[in-house]
Amino acid sequence: MPGFASRDQIIQAQTNGQAFRSDWSKNMNPTAAAVANEWHTLFRGNGNPGPDAIFDAGANLTFQAVKDNTTSASSVQHGGNVQPTYYKYLLSGSAVSAAATAQPTVVTLIDVVGFYRVTTVTTTTAQATTNTLGQSDTFTADASTDVCTWTSTASIPSNVLTGTRVRLTTTVTLPAGLSLATDYYVIKVTDSTFKLATSYANAVAGTAINITDAGTGTHTASWLLPRYTNGAALNAMFFNPAATALGAATPNLSLGYTNSAQTGSRATPTVLPVGKTAASNSHIIYTGATGAGKYNYAVPRASGDSGIAQIDTIQNSTSYVSGSYTVALYKELARFPVTTLGVAAERDFLNQLPSLPRIYDGAALYFVIGSGAATPVNSAFSGHLDFIYN
Amino acid sequence: MIRGIKELVDAELAGKERRYTWRKTPSQVTTAGLWYDLSMSPGRPVPKYWFDAPPAIAKQISYSADGGLEHGGGVSPSEKYLRLTTGIATVATALPLTMILCDYLLYYPSIDDSNLDEQPMDNTVTLPRYTDGEGVQAIAVSVAGRTGGAQFYFTYTNQDGVSGRVSETVTENSAAALGTIVTSSGATNSGGNPFIGLQDNDTGIRSIDSVFMLTADVGLFTLILVKPLGTSVIREITAPVEKDYFLEAGVIPRIYDDAYLSFLCLPQGTLAATALMGDIKTIFT
Repeated sequence: MPGFASRDQIIQAQTNGQAFRSDWSKNMNPTAAAVANEWHTLFRGNGNPGPDAIFDAGANLTFQAVKDNTTSASSVQHGGNVQPTYYKYLLSGSAVSAAATAQPTVVTLIDVVGFYRVTTVTTTTAQATTNTLGQSDTFTADASTDVCTWTSTASIPSNVLTGTRVRLTTTVTLPAGLSLATDYYVIKVTDSTFKLATSYANAVAGTAINITDAGTGTHTASWLLPRYTNGAALNAMFFNPAATALGAATPNLSLGYTNSAQTGSRATPTVLPVGKTAASNSHIIYTGATGAGKYNYAVPRASGDSGIAQIDTIQNSTSYVSGSYTVALYKELARFPVTTLGVAAERDFLNQLPSLPRIYDGAALYFVIGSGAATPVNSAFSGHLDFIYN
Repeated sequence: MIRGIKELVDAELAGKERRYTWRKTPSQVTTAGLWYDLSMSPGRPVPKYWFDAPPAIAKQISYSADGGLEHGGGVSPSEKYLRLTTGIATVATALPLTMILCDYLLYYPSIDDSNLDEQPMDNTVTLPRYTDGEGVQAIAVSVAGRTGGAQFYFTYTNQDGVSGRVSETVTENSAAALGTIVTSSGATNSGGNPFIGLQDNDTGIRSIDSVFMLTADVGLFTLILVKPLGTSVIREITAPVEKDYFLEAGVIPRIYDDAYLSFLCLPQGTLAATALMGDIKTIFT
């Protein structure tokens, strides 16, 4: 069984070299200072890794998955894939700033699983998104056990979690009991095997479809998200990914989405986040000093929701006139409160609960920062992340 | 209900947690050793003014109507708990700074210091949370300055529904800063606590019935019923204070849907020159 069950295993893993250290440095965005209380991404800042070139590219309103090997993603390295032999975790980390005027700052590590780029910012109605199920791998089915086994690993199927919505295709005939163009929900059995259910509720309950033959040909299952595949724990944020500022406007911003229980027609609750006029490069556009509609960097979710499986509509209530923004889906992994010039905020994830945040294969790790004071352009942040796997 | 580490970890892994940052920049020159309510201070969340409703008429306080610290939307029938708080100060003047996180429930605006008659409270509305009053305390927040030295007490209905209970008699301080807890002077009141003492054996307040000024003064104060949730102390500017309620306190306070959360704090100097910021992390099952 992968993972850690004791401190002895952690020591053994370190002795075995099952570890990876990533030293990172990123600068605050190069075009505009942050106002205290604002949150900004460090995606486009210079440093190591370098500026991303993905979040302001691609088709409008279309989901684009992000992985650590996505071209020009420029996410923080965390070592290669280790699943299904091992599971990888964040063991410790630190963040420090050499910019005296940048403190206090909350440096936050996130795993961005994908994003929707919005270029039609003059449209003020809710705009439908395109959610093509872009992750897929092949499988075989066992009619005697109803268990399916992954037979390819291109999309890292060991990341697929119970409750994930999938659709099936085949080169010839699907296993009896399964149909084309039908939503099914995964019951994860192991990292290499799964069953299928007819509903999310059945998946959670473990009620599997009875498969009566193995079908013929090669069968493929497709899903949307590369990690946190059922959407649990995923949040959304709007930010300006472009080098130019957004136009002059203060629109209400809202999402229609499907939650992690795979229930659709969920909506951002009132009071809606309000975008900043002329929001600068990297700004998470509804964060700011004061006023109604100013939030933390996560878009509020509807009551009781614990994650976002997909975004169905995106709306800015008034025209942003020019520019573009991006809505990213992410999982927060860790926070580093940086209080003082030159003093590193250090985190030991072994001795804090819940311990050792899981780093899934393909994780696209980035930083966002919450400014406690005005943060000048090119303010430098750096630190390290220690990963361990077993 | 979270009954152990496994349930807590499972809830977090399932995404049933949210983490929010707050930042307040008080403009008032506060007095060392006097408790101060951060609700009316600028920043995020936006200020909530305790003089924005008719005097002496009970008004419920909620996140949806009044703001306060973000803690995520409603989760009923699940239950939400306070998992973690952090705090940072940018200037050492006010440190060490004790902070009490409270759920603000009900307020009686603008009670008149100059009125020596009985000032009956209108209790048409009742507590929106902690409805039996168990653990609910009263604070008196200055909303118009005073000379200081006047005394008052109030009568109240306790956690068992018994009316006519009598609070301790408290002496007002002379601090000019709006938001100061007017009864929090260690020199004149019992211990300088922000909460006004109750009659023997009482453990909470369901409603305040009347206020009696024993001596007159200029000024106005608002009585607020609050439920204290947790305490932490910012000791220095070079390190954040983190309070892990599960590991350190052994209990994770319940956060009710639509709760209005804010901080009381005890500065050792003026807060006017500092920014305070921090996180609040909630978890639900």
